[in-house]
Amino acid sequence: MDLVRDVMDQKLLDREDCEMGRVDGLVMEVGEHSQPRITHIQIGGTTPWMRLHPAFARLSARLAQMWGPKRKEPVRIPWSRVMTVGRDIKLDVRVRETGAIDWEIWIARHIIERIPGGGHVEEG
Amino acid sequence: MKKVLAITLGIVTSVGGFLEIGSVTTAVQAGAAFGYQLLWAILLGTACLVFLVEMSGRFSAVSRHTIVDATRERFGFPFFAIVMVGVVLVFFMVLVAELGGIGLSLQILTGIGFPWWAVPVSFVVWFLMWKGTFGLIENGASILGLVTISFVVAAVKLNPDWGAAAHGLLPGMPGTDKAKYGFLAVSILGASISPHLMYFYSSGAIEDEWDKSYIPVNRFIATLGMTFGGVLSMAALVAAALTFQPNGVEVDTFEQSALLMTTALPKWGFFLFAASMLFTCLGAALETSLAIAYFFAQGFGWSWSEDLTPSKNARFCFVYTIIILLAAVPLLMGIDPIKVTLMSMALTAATLPLAVAPFLFLMNDPIYLGEHRNGWISNTVVAITILISFVLALIAIPLQILGG
Amino acid sequence: MEINVELLLGTKVCDIDGEDVGRIEELRVERDGQSCLVEAYFIGASAVIQRLSAWTLVRPIRGILSTRRLYSAYQVPWQDMDLSDPRHPRLRIAKRDLRHAK
Repeated sequence: MDLVRDVMDQKLLDREDCEMGRVDGLVMEVGEHSQPRITHIQIGGTTPWMRLHPAFARLSARLAQMWGPKRKEPVRIPWSRVMTVGRDIKLDVRVRETGAIDWEIWIARHIIERIPGGGHVEEG
Repeated sequence: MKKVLAITLGIVTSVGGFLEIGSVTTAVQAGAAFGYQLLWAILLGTACLVFLVEMSGRFSAVSRHTIVDATRERFGFPFFAIVMVGVVLVFFMVLVAELGGIGLSLQILTGIGFPWWAVPVSFVVWFLMWKGTFGLIENGASILGLVTISFVVAAVKLNPDWGAAAHGLLPGMPGTDKAKYGFLAVSILGASISPHLMYFYSSGAIEDEWDKSYIPVNRFIATLGMTFGGVLSMAALVAAALTFQPNGVEVDTFEQSALLMTTALPKWGFFLFAASMLFTCLGAALETSLAIAYFFAQGFGWSWSEDLTPSKNARFCFVYTIIILLAAVPLLMGIDPIKVTLMSMALTAATLPLAVAPFLFLMNDPIYLGEHRNGWISNTVVAITILISFVLALIAIPLQILGG
Repeated sequence: MEINVELLLGTKVCDIDGEDVGRIEELRVERDGQSCLVEAYFIGASAVIQRLSAWTLVRPIRGILSTRRLYSAYQVPWQDMDLSDPRHPRLRIAKRDLRHAK
């Protein structure tokens, strides 16, 4: 499997096929003499912006502190939770337990629900 | 039956893409200034679009991914971010132009200036997206857009010299005013080959749950739909050539354009033009707003669908809400939508390579498309379109300055 | 030590003698149960072709690219890559000992 072609930037789905975002980054553990291994998938936060330039990452972090769910760190999912790698990557998690859609829930509760016809976010 | 009715996706894409303020404005200006001489630009734009739209639909039907999904997945976030900057800038200007087009149509019908229409028009567009479904938007815009058939009626009633018109299907150079000719050619192509059409059509194929069985239908829809738009655009040019050029009228304002069909259809021409622009700009505004929201949602992996309640795809709905709100601001300030239109077309042409170049890779990707990859004909067309897009990108802004 | 893979991509790699080899464009991994082990790094401009899944486009002109030295991709086994400084990866071998990627 090729990491950049098959994993990086791919769409992530939870065990109920709910969208979780995309693979914005991957964490690799490197030892002096041990084979490197991929330990985590990173979603959101400053991760994608860091790929452009650190200045964008700093701006993103500052904006995240001012508004929204005020989450500092990107979401990290252990690689051991990866079920399948295909057109999308399916994870053995429940999206609401990971924090991956904190922004989605925040915008739904603070903005969308307040507009008539916006509906309601399900609890839990 | 469902597959046959899928033609509405083709028609709405074509109506929203081909017959909106940009393409009608440039077609009318082209006809008024140069007669039939720029018909070739519409023909070329239509041909390129037929192939690009067919590819967009085929890609989504086979891979169950959209073009935006694949652009992010294959080219990575840094390239996607560059495209995103171009998309936001261009699509936003197009949206301002389309909302302005609706406002101008209402202005000529009611006499009330278009800035007064900025808020109600923006609200209607937003409301249709907030409460409506993809099917409602798709089918509603298609049906309303059929009023544009009046362009063909008007053109035919004016008894054009079909031989001379056929001659205009071949590229040539005018005797005078080459800069303006070049600018209009670039504008027509920029108005025709719009990236938002491909993103919208690709997303629409997923919204309509297309699969591999739709491949033959998709070919039919892309060809018929885009040809429909191209023919109507040509009809507008022919009608302008016969209405304005003989009298040496240079069409500079929307109000002048409104006289396009009054010679051929004295009783109803004015209202048919206003209604046509109203409905096509409405379709285009919906399409552009959706294209922007689709772009962000698909690129960042959010949940998205016009068929879901807003709270179930909050970020997707938030994007189109904000963008429509912001697009009303220039109109409230009284900025001329026609000027915005011309600038948006030049910018579309300048940023076209970003949207078209990835196609060459995506449509040959065996992982996404398997045996349904491009053949040599499609690849040749994409390569030619990429070449055209680079040429347009280089000359669009200088020509805007010299000939616009 | 933890390294962000997305920041490793595109970094220049030198060999043990300090000679430029190219940039890291791809990583080949092997899934082993719940682990994902890095087998090799792909370096060189044409590793991008692999990443873009663009071989059907490039294969017809691969011969021309090879003769004009535009085509170069090296496959570096994990043991031969020193990532102690992730911003300046180095090979543990010389460039001449590298294997071309297929």
